[in-house]
Amino acid sequence: MTITCILTDDQPLTLLELANACQVEPAWIAERIMAGLVITPIPARLDGALFGSRAIERTRQLLRIENDFDANPELAALVVDMMEQLTMLRRQIRQDHPVIDIL
Amino acid sequence: MQFKDYYAILGVDRNASQEDIRKAYRRLARKYHPDVSKEANAEQMMKEVNEANAVLSDPEKKAAYDQMGQGFRADEDFSPPPDWGSGFEFSGRGFGDGNMHDASEFFSRMFGHGGRNRHSHQMRGEDRHARIVVDLATAWTGASQTVSLRVPEMGADGQVVLREQSLQVTIPAGITEGQHLRVAGQGTPGFNGGPAGDLFLEISFRPDGRFRTEGRDVHGHLPVTPWEAALGGSIQAMTPSGPVEMRIPAESQAGRKLRLKGRGIPGNPPGDLYLELQVVLPPAKTEAARDLYRKMAETMPFNPRQEIRP
Repeated sequence: MTITCILTDDQPLTLLELANACQVEPAWIAERIMAGLVITPIPARLDGALFGSRAIERTRQLLRIENDFDANPELAALVVDMMEQLTMLRRQIRQDHPVIDIL
Repeated sequence: MQFKDYYAILGVDRNASQEDIRKAYRRLARKYHPDVSKEANAEQMMKEVNEANAVLSDPEKKAAYDQMGQGFRADEDFSPPPDWGSGFEFSGRGFGDGNMHDASEFFSRMFGHGGRNRHSHQMRGEDRHARIVVDLATAWTGASQTVSLRVPEMGADGQVVLREQSLQVTIPAGITEGQHLRVAGQGTPGFNGGPAGDLFLEISFRPDGRFRTEGRDVHGHLPVTPWEAALGGSIQAMTPSGPVEMRIPAESQAGRKLRLKGRGIPGNPPGDLYLELQVVLPPAKTEAARDLYRKMAETMPFNPRQEIRP
C-alpha cells in the first residue's frame, strides 16, 4: 500500500504538533520562540502560530545540543546557526570543482 | 543478544562518579556528534554513547544495570532473566531525544518496558523521525519510494523488540532539501486505544556533482567552448528537469552567471536556475590543433595577467 505524505510547509504544524514532533513540552518551545531562538512563527504570535520544516529541524537540533552538552539555550542557538551555515557551505563545496595543486 | 559494556563505551571506570560520567559523555558527544563529526562511523558511535549515557547517568537504570551486568564482558552472549527489572522503577525517557527506534536490542530489552506503557489512560503514540534520500530530479517529478524503519514493539513477554517495517510513500513534486513530510499515523502506536503518532521524513537530496540547491533555487555549471563564450549563440543545456535551449550572450567570460527564471524547483513561486559559465578549452593534442592555438596567439595578442601587478 502506498501512503501519501503531506509536506509540512503546505500544511504547517501547530505549537502542540511541533512539540509532539520534537518530544518536548509546548512551553519549552514557547520560551525559545519568545527569546528569538527557534524561528519566528506565522503569524508572529504564539496563539494560532504555525510552523514548517525549518522549525522542526531547528527545534530538534536545539534540543540535541542543549541535552548533549548541557548548553544554555542561547549557546545552543549559536551552535545551530553555525551548523546551518556549515551545511550550506558544504553543499557549495560538494558542487564546486576539485582544486588541483600545481607545484 | 550481546552484552553491552556501557562503562567501556564511555571509557570510564565502574566506580566513576556522576561528574566523571558526564565529562566523558560530553567529550565523546563532541567527538561523535553527527552534526559536526568527521568520523566515518559517527552516527553509530553517537547512538552507543547516548545509550551508555542514558543508563549510567540515570541512578535507577545504573543500579539495575550494575546488578545485572556483574561478571559479563562486552559482546558476550547475554539474556536477562524473566524477573528482570523487578524492584527497579525506570521512569525516565528512553534516551537521546527519546527515539526508542535508535536503541540497540540490548537497551530495548533491558529498559524498554518502563515508562509510558504503565499508564492506564489513553495516550497518543510518539512521533518518529527518519531521513529519506532522493534524487534531485524527484523535486520535479515526485516519486514513490520505500522507506525501511526499525519499529519498537511490545512482545508477548512485555519486553520491547525492534521490528523492521517497510512503507511505500508518495513524495510530491516541489520538495526542497530539509523539508519534512508528515505521514499520519505511522509513528509509534498509542497506549490503551490512543491514536498512533506521526512519522516525519526529512528530505535529503542525493549528492549531485552538477547541481546544488538553495531552497527552490538551483545552481550549476555550464561548460561552453571558447567560441560559444566569445561569439554567443544558442546552445542546448542539461538541467535537472531535462535539456533546454538557451542563448549565451556574446563576450561572456568564465564565471558569468546566467539565470533561467522559473527553471528551479517547481512551486509557488518556482525557484530559478543559475548556471555559471565554465569555458572549456579544446585539447591541443594534434599538430593541427596546436597550429590553431599558435595562429590565435599571433592574430590576437592577449595577456590576461596584465592587470596583475606585483
